[in-house]
Amino acid sequence: MSVSDLSSLEAAALARRPAFGDSAHILCDNLVRIYKTEGVEVVALQGLDLLIDKGELVAIVGASGSGKSTLLNVLSGLDVPTAGLARVAGMDLLSMSAKDRLRYRRSIVGFIWQQTARNLLPYLSARENVLLPMRLARRPRSARQRADELLELLGVADCASRTPAEMSGGQQQRVAIAVALANEPGVILADEPTGELDSETSAEVFAALRAANRELGVTAVIVTHDPLVSEQVDRTVGIRDGRTSSETLRRTSEDGDVIAEEYAVLDRVGRLQLPRDFMSALEMERRVRLELERDHIGVWPVREDASDDE
Amino acid sequence: MPITLLRVHKGAAAVLALLALSASLLLAALPRAFERSYDQALSDVLGGAVATTTDLTVGERPFDSPELLTEPAQFAARDDLWRRTLPPELRRIMASKSTDFGAETFLTPVADRFDKLGFGTQYLDLAWLPAAEQRVRYVKGKPPGPAGAITYKGQRIVRYDVAVASDAVTQMGLDVGATVVLGYSDPMAARVTGVYELTDPKDRYWDHHLNVPKVTVRAKDLDEEYLITGLTSADSLKYLNAHRNLNYFWVLGTDRSALTARDAQQVIDAIDVYRRAVTGRTTNFRPYTLDTGLNDLLKGYLQRLATAQTLMLLILGGLGLVAIGVAALAAQLLTERMRSGLTLMRARGGGLGQLVVTGTSVVALVTLPAVLVGYGLAALVPGPVTLAVHLGPALLAVAAIAYTAGRLALTHRRPLDERRDDVVARKPSPRRLVLEATVAGLALAGAYLLRTRGLQESDPFLMAVPAALTLAAALITVRCYPLPLRLFVWLTARRRPAVPFLGFTRAARGRSVAALPVLVLLPALAVSVFGSVVSAAVGDTQRVAAWQQVGASARVEREEAITPEMIQRIQRTPGVEAVVPVAKGNSDVGGHPTTVVAVDLGAYRKILAGTPLTVPDAPRTVPGGVGGLVSPSLGGAPTFEIDWPSKVRVVRTGTITGLNGLASPEYNLVVVPFDGPANTLLIKGGVRKDDLAAAVNAPDALIMTVDDSLRQIQDAPLTSTVLAAFTIVTIALGAYALIAVIIALVAGAADRAKALAYLRTLGLSQRQARGLTVLEVTPLIVLTAVAGLLLGLALPAALAPGIDLSAYAGSAVDGFPLTLGTPTLLAAGLTAVAVLGAFAHASAGRAVTGALRLGESA
Repeated sequence: MSVSDLSSLEAAALARRPAFGDSAHILCDNLVRIYKTEGVEVVALQGLDLLIDKGELVAIVGASGSGKSTLLNVLSGLDVPTAGLARVAGMDLLSMSAKDRLRYRRSIVGFIWQQTARNLLPYLSARENVLLPMRLARRPRSARQRADELLELLGVADCASRTPAEMSGGQQQRVAIAVALANEPGVILADEPTGELDSETSAEVFAALRAANRELGVTAVIVTHDPLVSEQVDRTVGIRDGRTSSETLRRTSEDGDVIAEEYAVLDRVGRLQLPRDFMSALEMERRVRLELERDHIGVWPVREDASDDE
Repeated sequence: MPITLLRVHKGAAAVLALLALSASLLLAALPRAFERSYDQALSDVLGGAVATTTDLTVGERPFDSPELLTEPAQFAARDDLWRRTLPPELRRIMASKSTDFGAETFLTPVADRFDKLGFGTQYLDLAWLPAAEQRVRYVKGKPPGPAGAITYKGQRIVRYDVAVASDAVTQMGLDVGATVVLGYSDPMAARVTGVYELTDPKDRYWDHHLNVPKVTVRAKDLDEEYLITGLTSADSLKYLNAHRNLNYFWVLGTDRSALTARDAQQVIDAIDVYRRAVTGRTTNFRPYTLDTGLNDLLKGYLQRLATAQTLMLLILGGLGLVAIGVAALAAQLLTERMRSGLTLMRARGGGLGQLVVTGTSVVALVTLPAVLVGYGLAALVPGPVTLAVHLGPALLAVAAIAYTAGRLALTHRRPLDERRDDVVARKPSPRRLVLEATVAGLALAGAYLLRTRGLQESDPFLMAVPAALTLAAALITVRCYPLPLRLFVWLTARRRPAVPFLGFTRAARGRSVAALPVLVLLPALAVSVFGSVVSAAVGDTQRVAAWQQVGASARVEREEAITPEMIQRIQRTPGVEAVVPVAKGNSDVGGHPTTVVAVDLGAYRKILAGTPLTVPDAPRTVPGGVGGLVSPSLGGAPTFEIDWPSKVRVVRTGTITGLNGLASPEYNLVVVPFDGPANTLLIKGGVRKDDLAAAVNAPDALIMTVDDSLRQIQDAPLTSTVLAAFTIVTIALGAYALIAVIIALVAGAADRAKALAYLRTLGLSQRQARGLTVLEVTPLIVLTAVAGLLLGLALPAALAPGIDLSAYAGSAVDGFPLTLGTPTLLAAGLTAVAVLGAFAHASAGRAVTGALRLGESA
């Protein structure tokens, strides 16, 4: 094969393959966040990869301390990652200036916290709470009308002039969603939005989130422990030790049943997390043996005697 | 939005408003009151002085006839000239209706009398005083007419008409019709045509013409001289020339109420300028002079004022520092309350600028009206308006608002604020360390300069030294107070009870909340303690000075002898416990005028038991004379003679300098044993002055009591203001310190409640929780109180050489005795009340779940 053939082949290969996550709405590549306190470093995110397409509704699950909330803080522009790549709607979260960051928080993302009280100012009515982000972003034109439309969309139009104390928890969270949507963001992020609610109210709030996702076409990322939520989204991303470890995809079969399939996540350099129970069942530790078969890769535990022989 | 926030946090806003109002009121009102007392003191000083001291007198001694002023119009023209050339600073203080000019001869001897009556040595001066005419009433004869002529010893000489005071009729035989010859060479005659009395003897006009209203009798050798000035007519001016001792004068009367403390220095300078202008007009034939005591009077006053101003600046500076600290603390409370709302706004897309403007407007909306109201209320306090009146409230408002803006900008710099101060102490920033070291260094250097140089002229750097020292001490305390606490933590960690360990640990870590209360509490206590130490020192010195002035509980003094009947009457007076007779007079020792005091020193010492006064041992009895104590100024002669009270030989047996009230140290003094008759009585016992006066029953007797002298010293306007200001400021500072502690407690309440709630879920009892709160707050308060107490006690000693308090104390204040009573009480009281406040705060029960939830959402 000639040199020119080789280079043309390479060029063709490059041309065909878009850059990693090019089309994604949210892209995290090898994201690292380290908290430094006096003498102690806590690595909250240790090279996390995540791709979310525009208009997707994704749940993120994981044990306490796995880095979910850190990821969400990074995505919402409240926190700056230490290293890696994080891009939302084409904006690089690592290299943004303070002004860009403010613009980003104003018009690209909206978010909802777990604590209902933290989402809303207790002394403002629901409508005023929705108006607040618009006023902060100095968008007074037709703001009131938009606030009323949002409250209507989320089914809390009757609460418009009530203060949070006069609303139920579910109503408060739905108003919070309206607040998050006020400046027409492309992405909304929710940190355990149903964490403080009973199952019936949770369903209402989740329905409201899904409505926003479907009707307004916003990308929604929900961190949750709530199976009610995680079992109803198209994709659930599992995070373990600061990395995405698994993904569960759901599709509806021809007879109407929901089929969920769990996958391990393979990163760009080929790393893969094996589920812990798989590893302990086969007593895998430190080293495994891989064997490339025709249509799969086999992973074999290393026996001590075998290794000695080699 | 600010209005909404204000409505929601009205509690904290009300606290801030009240503090801003009270601080602004104090900062605007106190300088007014101070300035008023300065003016009052000045007016007292001026009121006590005679008109010749306070007025300006331009004098001219005419020499030759071409320069003589012979027409009243010439005098008036010159008067106009003097007034026109006055510098504006002096023109402003001129009395509007006071024209006093004229011509006066002085020491004009009566050489002969046509009536040939003998009246000893007499002087009759002639004065043309146009302004005197409305001030006299003729009781006999008529006003002087034009000059004429008379034959004396065959010569025609000029005859003036004069009018004299009625006093001269009896004392000098100058009745209407009497004619005398004046002057030995070039004689002239004076005929008395009228006798007058003054319409108002108290008129200050007469200060300038002392010899016009009455005859002055002067002792000369063994004889007496009589002096009077007679009024003559304008016509006489033609004949008054340099053959007589002649003076022309123009009095430029001052309006003493127009003079204020603030323009005293300008007036002093203007007088110098004017003096140069007046004497600059001197020609060979016209030497001009300007006479006034006003500049010396004002200089002495300004010296005393400088000390008062330093003290005022010190306490006002302390008060200002504390008021600003408390206002900042209250503003911090308000911003803490707004924190969650502002954090949410920041997260939802609020720019830092938007947030700072919103939060700062809330504080400004509260502070500015409150400061304005306080400032307005201060206008009700009478007193002149100076720059300080505007500056204090303005500084307060600016400080509160700037502090808020800075704090908000710092807190919300990042949208997601991870507050982990409870876990990890922030490292001190090098910049802050350098700043603090600079403040401390400047304060120490300033204190050194103040000690060595003193406060000669108003140096703003040196005047700020006490406040800087206080600030430096506060900064050092903030920086260092966790160190002793760590020792306690180390100790308590090894013991079983958990509460002390937890309490001290929290106390040692709560640095962010601690800084402001320390910055408030410490200066408050330091200035209060300083005030009480200085007041005590001044009070003590005043007492000693009063005793020294009198020499005993009371003293009666007469020119003539005090009779035994008088002494008996005094002994019977209620309150009198003992009487020591003294003979006090003057003698001559080796050509030096000397005070001789004859007193039984043993008896005198007995009546002084329990008073601040002391007397030396009585002189020994010696053969061949009387033993005496002699002041060192009289030299070392072992024996000498005195001729009073009787001619005796005194043998020096010891030395003495001054004897309380009876002789001051700067005069020569001889003290000998008492040997009657007495002219002075030293009295022991709480006797009233009126009773004594009744018992003595002699109008010429001088009666003094300690209570009276003390009252006189204390009632001097500057003294009473200084002491009153110390009291007011001490009370205000105490209140502020207390408020600071309470605000600090309330500001930290949510945090503390959260920690306590967690601990209570772990089994901490309500009682232990209370103990924990008190333990957490107490160390800071106690350590700050100790630091404040020490600083307050050290300040007077450190600054003493630079601040002269003698003007307030009646005599020099030497040293500040370490009186621990009041200062310790102040510190202990403040500490106790603050700890009680903490206890009460801790005792108010809070629901655990509520606290936990509150903590979560904060």
